[in-house]
Amino acid sequence: MRWPWERAKENLSEELEAHLQMAIAERVADGEEPAQARAAALRELGNLPLIEDVTREGWGWIWLENLLRDTRYALRQLRRAPAFTATALLTLAFGIGANLGVFQLLYAVILAELPVPHPGEVVRIHAARSPFDQSWTISYPAYQRLRAATPDVPLIASAYAEDATLDLPNRASIKAACTLVSDNYFSGLGVAPAAGRLFVQADERMGQGEWPVVLRYDFARNTFGSAQQAVGQHILLNDRAFVVIGVAHRRFLGDRTGYAPDIWLPLALQSTGALTVPWDSLGPGHDVSLDKPWYNQPTIFWLALTARIPPERRAAVLAHWDQVFRNDREVMTEATADPAVKAALLHVKTGVAPLSENGMRKRFTGPLTLLMALSASIFLVGCLNLANLQLARLHARAHELSVRMALGASSGRLIRQIVLEDALLVLGGSVCAFGLGRAASGILVRWASNRNSLFTFDLHPNLPLAALGVGLMLLSLLCFSILPAIIFIRTGVAQTAGSGSRIAGISQTARQRFRSNLMLGTQVSLSLLLSTMSGCFAATLVHWETVDVGMDREHVLIVRPELHQPRYTDHSEMLPGLYSRIQERLQALPGVRSAAVEMCGGIHCGWITSLYVHGRSDLTDAQVHGQEDHVGLGFFSTLGIPILRGRDFSSSDTDKTQPVAIISRAYARQLFGDADPIGQWVGYVPAPNDHKFMIVGEVADARVNGAEREAPPVVYMSINQNPAPVNSIRVRAVGDPRQLSDSVRQALHEVDPALPVSEIVPLATELDGDLGTEKLLARLAGIYASLTLLLVAIGFYGVMSSRTAQRMSEFGIRLALGASRGHIEMLIVGQTARIILVSILPGVILSIFAVRTASHFLYGSVSANLLVIIAASLVLASAGVVATLIPARRAAYADPLETLRGE
Amino acid sequence: MNQTAKYQNRIELLQGTLDMLVLQALLREPMHGYAIAQVIRDRSGEVLSVETGSLYPALHRLERQKWVKAEWKLTESKQRAKFYQLTALGKKQLTTDHQRWLQMVRAIGAVMETEVQS
Repeated sequence: MRWPWERAKENLSEELEAHLQMAIAERVADGEEPAQARAAALRELGNLPLIEDVTREGWGWIWLENLLRDTRYALRQLRRAPAFTATALLTLAFGIGANLGVFQLLYAVILAELPVPHPGEVVRIHAARSPFDQSWTISYPAYQRLRAATPDVPLIASAYAEDATLDLPNRASIKAACTLVSDNYFSGLGVAPAAGRLFVQADERMGQGEWPVVLRYDFARNTFGSAQQAVGQHILLNDRAFVVIGVAHRRFLGDRTGYAPDIWLPLALQSTGALTVPWDSLGPGHDVSLDKPWYNQPTIFWLALTARIPPERRAAVLAHWDQVFRNDREVMTEATADPAVKAALLHVKTGVAPLSENGMRKRFTGPLTLLMALSASIFLVGCLNLANLQLARLHARAHELSVRMALGASSGRLIRQIVLEDALLVLGGSVCAFGLGRAASGILVRWASNRNSLFTFDLHPNLPLAALGVGLMLLSLLCFSILPAIIFIRTGVAQTAGSGSRIAGISQTARQRFRSNLMLGTQVSLSLLLSTMSGCFAATLVHWETVDVGMDREHVLIVRPELHQPRYTDHSEMLPGLYSRIQERLQALPGVRSAAVEMCGGIHCGWITSLYVHGRSDLTDAQVHGQEDHVGLGFFSTLGIPILRGRDFSSSDTDKTQPVAIISRAYARQLFGDADPIGQWVGYVPAPNDHKFMIVGEVADARVNGAEREAPPVVYMSINQNPAPVNSIRVRAVGDPRQLSDSVRQALHEVDPALPVSEIVPLATELDGDLGTEKLLARLAGIYASLTLLLVAIGFYGVMSSRTAQRMSEFGIRLALGASRGHIEMLIVGQTARIILVSILPGVILSIFAVRTASHFLYGSVSANLLVIIAASLVLASAGVVATLIPARRAAYADPLETLRGE
Repeated sequence: MNQTAKYQNRIELLQGTLDMLVLQALLREPMHGYAIAQVIRDRSGEVLSVETGSLYPALHRLERQKWVKAEWKLTESKQRAKFYQLTALGKKQLTTDHQRWLQMVRAIGAVMETEVQS
């Protein structure tokens, strides 16, 4: 390919050549000798290349030509220094990429607004907390009343259902996250469809043969290929027929940060029982019929409210709703016997909360801000490192640069060339960084997610992200290229050109040495900070992964059977027999110590309940509330939960005998203090029905809500006295529980061939899967720490190599005069040691400060983490020394004759 | 007249007048660079000499401003050369330049005469 100016350049040469020829021809015609004529004509014409240059400057694209020439030159320079190029590219890619990746997540979790018009108008409506779950949910009749009271305000109701099984023809079934929403959900929020249509009022009609659903954009694309293709598809969800009527706008992922429903369905669908929806009520003993439709039951609380109200109308609308809701508040007070709680409930006013005030934000703002700070420091370390390498590299090029300056190159042009070289690096690094950042944020989301529920965020590139990327690019260019180049050209080359000494071996001035030492030192300090944080986070993660949870976490297997099918639910009286057959069969397996069934499918499961003690009317709600779980025989020995007092459930406890309960230590302390709970009578409701169960045992506390959470107060009831489908079978193994999976599956198949098993997972995995934040912090900080360690090592290697190279002749003389090789090595290593020693102190101070700030995310005190700081310092120091040893050995083992001959 | 005398008689061109001279030279017929330099030298009685280093940047400048257009042709002596031709826009520019120059000559003349009289 030919550039346009190359042709123009040839034309110009030809034009001037023609001029010359004509001048010669005229002189020859005038009678001059051809040779003399030529010389005279040339003299008259002047400096031909200069004329060409001056003429070309007028063309206007000379800058582009220069730029291209400089680019080619820069590429050549970069190819000649592959180690530097690779280091710079990787440093920039990681330094910028880490920041972009974390920022992407930070933006999605904390800063991003709902992608609808006027997102500030959309607020959560907090009418009342439900009695047990303490969630802001209300009943369907209450929702209808509130909505009817203010017809001009879009009041939206939604309920998150449990994942449903989606069956498609010729494909394996998949799990889909489902949300029930009122008909005005999309119109009220202002969401546009990507294809098809969204819900209208008619979609709430009862008794439809085929219910309409709306899909999330990415879900539609992944499942059906595209949004358009999804519309009109007939799908089976939990064995019921649905038709896809539309797909929501591609940026709309639902109204709750992090939880993106795959499928939106009409609220009215609840009455079909096709989906399991979480609910709360006034508690046991109050009249609720879960099997009947919920739309006319005022004591089932299951709808979360969202509304779009302009700020100036908020006060009036809320006051109006308060009046309408008055009756429902009074109904809710029936859930408690505590007069203080009753009075408080009636005094609550309906309020609003911004959508951004959510658990996701509460949970991740701290960790993500911290990670952002760590990312910024790794970027800083990278820039410092490159600046130092750059200065060392310029030093090595001092000879070439000073010669070029002496030949007339302007310092501006030289700086431009150097900066251009680095701009190419920054550009290349940034391209990698954007790719890395994208991948990183996806991985970070996975790390931060719980094992069972993957967070979904909008990770599309956005303007703030692009701005950050470009800003970091420019900042890195300034730090590692423009400033060093200016400093160097202003000082280094000028001195070189002036001095008559050997150009190749200019020794650094004290100031230059101090500058590069300072940069190395700062890197060491920051690296120490990152290493310390990484160590602390790793220690925290290990702590939570190994903390005593009150259960045998290493040997228990959780098996999840699918018992929620008519053939089991319709014959619940058969279930105790099935459970006992399962237990017997599993316990006969080699390697199985014991097995038991449990209502809970895993952690975070026990439902909130209340226990009133017979003969005690002074109990507050705080004492009464706890968690409940229904378990089979041998449950406590299977989980490794010790029985402290009384007895375990036995086979003589049946639905014909006295209902019994076993409570955990925490619940016993809550209700009875240190008194013996055995033999006490309790009930779900206050007197006169407070003596339904007799407490027969007390067990130790177990962290059933996850390793990090305190053990909750739990009351265990016997599954045989309340026959119902269980959600898990626990198996305690002698050795590694994982190895039992196949034999357990096989054994269950033998007991009941029709019983599907959806999942088999070790308890440890389930507990660890809950440590999203800790994993995110530990892993990312670990990566950062190793990166900075590598950078520090490269930094020391680069700087010390360049310094020893300049002092080769000095070392040669020293060796010739009788210095030992060890002495030379110590000279060089000593420099590194001094830098590290001096910079460790500020690093330690920085680390202590950081550990204090982040103490919320760390387990253990500052003093406990001091050990980590010391370990990090040692690792860092040895990395620096090892990196320096390479050039030191090279210098010490060079032949002095060889180096001195170069003089 | 020997070479040195010839050189001494030449005077430097006034800033900005070169463009006008070139345009004027091209008024009658298209010419190549060498001929333009010759024409200016001849018509000025060998007083004005156009340096090649100024002429070609000027020609390329005029071409970029679309006051002249260029094409490659053969000279009478069969030499390939780039011939410049005045465009309509160039003619207009020449008129403006000429008028401004006349104004300036009058103005300078008036000033100089006053000086002499006083």
